[in-house]
Amino acid sequence: MDSIPSPVDPFGLYIHIPFCERKCPYCDFNTYAGLGDLFERTVDALCAEMAGRRSRLGDRPVTSVFVGGGTPTVLADAQLEQLMAAVHASFSLAAGCEITFEANPGTVDRDKFGCLRSLGVNRLSIGVQSFQPEELRFLGRIHDVEDVYRAFDAARTAGFGNINLDFIFGLPHQEMAQWQDTLGRALALGPEHLSLYSLIVEPNTPLYHWVATGKTDAPDEDMAGELYEATIERLAAAGYVHYEVSNWAKPGSTQPPDAVLMPEYACRHNLVYWRNQEYLGIGPGAHSHLRRRDEQGRAVSRRWSNHKPVPGYVRRVQQAEPVEDFAEEVGPRLSMGETMMLGLRLVREGVERERFQALHRCDMEEVFAAQLRDLQAWGMIETDAARVRTTRRGLLMGNQTAALFLPDEAVETDALEAGQH
Amino acid sequence: MNLDHIRNISIIAHIDHGKSTLADRLMQMTGTVTAREMKEQLLDSMDLEREKGVTIKASAVRMIYRYEGKEYEINLIDTPGHVDFSYEVNRALQACEGAVLVVDASQGIQAQTMAHLFAALEQDLTIVPVINKIDLPAAMPDDVAEEVEELLGVPAEDIPRISAKTDVNVEAVLHQIIEQVPPPTGDVNAPLRALVFDCLYDPYKGVIAYVRVFEGKIEGTPRLTAMTTGKVLEPLEVGVLTPAMLVTNSLAAGEVGYIATGLKTLQDLDVGDTITLAEGGATERLPGYQPLKPMVFAGLYPSDADDYGELRDALEKLQLNDAALVYEPETSQALGFGFRLGFLGLFHMEIVQERLEREYDLDIIFTAPSVEYRVNMTDGSVMTIDSPAALPEPTKITSVEEPWCELRIFSPSEHIGTIMDLVTKRRGELKNQTWLDTKRVEIACMIPLSEIIVDFYNELKARTRGYASMDYTLDEYRAADMVKLDILVNQQPVDALSIIVHRDDAYHKGQRLVSKMKEIIPRQMFTVPIQAAIGNKIISRANVQAMRKDVLAKCYGGDITRKRKLLEKQTAGKKRMKMVGQVEIPQEAFMSVLRLEEE
Repeated sequence: MDSIPSPVDPFGLYIHIPFCERKCPYCDFNTYAGLGDLFERTVDALCAEMAGRRSRLGDRPVTSVFVGGGTPTVLADAQLEQLMAAVHASFSLAAGCEITFEANPGTVDRDKFGCLRSLGVNRLSIGVQSFQPEELRFLGRIHDVEDVYRAFDAARTAGFGNINLDFIFGLPHQEMAQWQDTLGRALALGPEHLSLYSLIVEPNTPLYHWVATGKTDAPDEDMAGELYEATIERLAAAGYVHYEVSNWAKPGSTQPPDAVLMPEYACRHNLVYWRNQEYLGIGPGAHSHLRRRDEQGRAVSRRWSNHKPVPGYVRRVQQAEPVEDFAEEVGPRLSMGETMMLGLRLVREGVERERFQALHRCDMEEVFAAQLRDLQAWGMIETDAARVRTTRRGLLMGNQTAALFLPDEAVETDALEAGQH
Repeated sequence: MNLDHIRNISIIAHIDHGKSTLADRLMQMTGTVTAREMKEQLLDSMDLEREKGVTIKASAVRMIYRYEGKEYEINLIDTPGHVDFSYEVNRALQACEGAVLVVDASQGIQAQTMAHLFAALEQDLTIVPVINKIDLPAAMPDDVAEEVEELLGVPAEDIPRISAKTDVNVEAVLHQIIEQVPPPTGDVNAPLRALVFDCLYDPYKGVIAYVRVFEGKIEGTPRLTAMTTGKVLEPLEVGVLTPAMLVTNSLAAGEVGYIATGLKTLQDLDVGDTITLAEGGATERLPGYQPLKPMVFAGLYPSDADDYGELRDALEKLQLNDAALVYEPETSQALGFGFRLGFLGLFHMEIVQERLEREYDLDIIFTAPSVEYRVNMTDGSVMTIDSPAALPEPTKITSVEEPWCELRIFSPSEHIGTIMDLVTKRRGELKNQTWLDTKRVEIACMIPLSEIIVDFYNELKARTRGYASMDYTLDEYRAADMVKLDILVNQQPVDALSIIVHRDDAYHKGQRLVSKMKEIIPRQMFTVPIQAAIGNKIISRANVQAMRKDVLAKCYGGDITRKRKLLEKQTAGKKRMKMVGQVEIPQEAFMSVLRLEEE
């Protein structure tokens, strides 16, 4: 497929490690516990998939690498080395490329972090989720509170200067005091970045079953809203910039926190998603997005995802069969909607008019005149010459705001034949 | 055929006592249809009838049976099984000389059967009782036979015990029909008088009249007249039902058959009318005719305004084979373009609703049903209205009158208390109570029609574990202190939620409606007040609190497709809501008015 050839455009590489020591009851990601036997073959397959993609992407520089899962740190050092060697063999990494690894506090130590450092990893995302022991138990985490402190200390000692901590709020019956305690402990560690997600009860998870059968109460949406707003206040006071719905980061030392549009420590890889830019996903169930221009020069997106079950993925790669099992073509109009839907999640930056124009070759104001007018009248967005972004109210009603930019009826995107490329 | 060799009969039974199965068996046994041709319950042709266990439209079949060396023609006329169609039942029974009374051996005589049985007795029909379902483990055929003996005076030992399902002793039913039911009488030389006991629209032949000829005869296809409407019929053909239409171009006194009338719409011919010859016809029609009169009215709207045209087409088609359905265009602020429909009763309304959804695949909204009120105006004029929206301002009204009906409930006696409680709650008055036997009782009462059209029958069934049944006839108009109850959402009255209620019930119903709306209306971006009002007076109020947050604070990584689809789903859900005063009201809200009494 033709991608838009511009060497300066950000381009993300995501690598999915579908393994965990234990599967958390709320998690609906494509990850499995107890597949130790498959580690080796899977890493081989990931490397082979990368090698196979190379020829089609040419020398397009990768501006960010994100190794997630799952729990990438369940892999042995040698496997991690093999993986990173393949990344370098198959892609050219741009200067200053952000390389993030997800880590579970229960599967890391100083040596593991040392290994990651030696492989050029410059950002860590540690899945803490909570500082309350009973919440960690409810969430089925394999680690305890002490593990978190040990892991964070080990990461710093290993030389990581850009660390994200993941947390989940809005657990059933979670009270403000508990969440504030967790936040306080998180802030005390002084991470560069915080990802705070609200608990979503997803179908096909044990949690969903517990809620459906009354074993667990459903999370209280109003309470989650209260916790979220309190979080926004607290983190602002602590000097973090709320740059995306669920993400906060420290500004650079020269950035004035109040005026900054994008903090220095924002996750560059995730920005690729929110700015509707391109990325390649490697591994079982990984998602990719590449763009081409249609005859009128408008941006058309191709999104696809890989086969999810691990053995099937491995077999396909081994037999040089296509690994995709879903693909869709997102036409120009829907692609613009996606740009709005994603960009309005960026609290400060919003959707930049110029970026929109460059991407879609048309004026945002023309395409979405009615939506922008209504949303502004309702106090959901604010606009200026450079950008459109949500107000606080618009942020809290993000789904309603975003939905307005999508076509009225659920459009069927052109489902492409799986495997075609 | 010699009149002595003709028998015209109906089968009457409580729902599920096996009427259709017995009819099937009789048709098989007489070779009318072979087992191979036999569809399950041939007479109930529509799915809906089968599911509801009732017959909506009557039909007829001619069966030929040899008995003791002679050939007999048995015309079986099917009857609809529900109170809303009692007029049609009566016309079908009028076409017969006898009725087979089917009683379930495990359940005994049921109240519903009684209504039909009394109707049959009123028409002077000979009753042939039959005890069915003797194959059931719980069958008590002897006890039931004694009940029947007590009721009809037919010796218990003479009553056939059968199982139509397993084909036991069904032949005995045919024998009894021939031996007991008198043959029809009627002067074949008198001027033609044929009773229309059912009508059907056939896409190829137009309106088909099912007739019983009482006097005279039809030879060939002469010009005919429908005596009530005065319409002249130019029949395409005349024949008998085998059950397929078989052209004979000859029908004589005592016989049952059909006339392909050449008429284009069912509205041109009424059930109960008398057909005679256009030249040299009879001067007096047969007794029993009543024009069909809708008693219950409701608004009908497409869920999606784009479907208005489809809805109109569907109603047109539906009316082709449902003469009782009437409609006219109506508009609502909340629901847009729709229709006001008139029905024979609530059950008829349910059937129409289900047929529209099932046969025409339409998503529709019905508004709360209403009866026809007479409004005496201060200027001395009288208005009739069937919609809350049409009720004039209170200052212009001197008084309102509403239709009352006589309601007969048949039930096991242990439920008398709860039935009386229900009747009283619905403003009913007890008239009398008659013991049918030691265990069953008939309760007769007077009750406003408006009180029984909304969820009364279901409630009655629930309170009596399904044992009670009811029948009602319109009686008279009585003055009533009726008021219009409005529901305001975000200060805007929602016309489709207005109902006409008795002033004494207004407060209670207003409160219930408001709390229902509070449950149903999803939280919006702002607080939404919901109010119930009579005129300018607010009688109840509740708030739907503003939504605090609606944002997916979840990590979707690179799976943008999924996130987009989630949002699209949310948008699609909204499309099915109706906007009133900037508030999205789910369709469920409009239907909830129908279920106000549920706890």
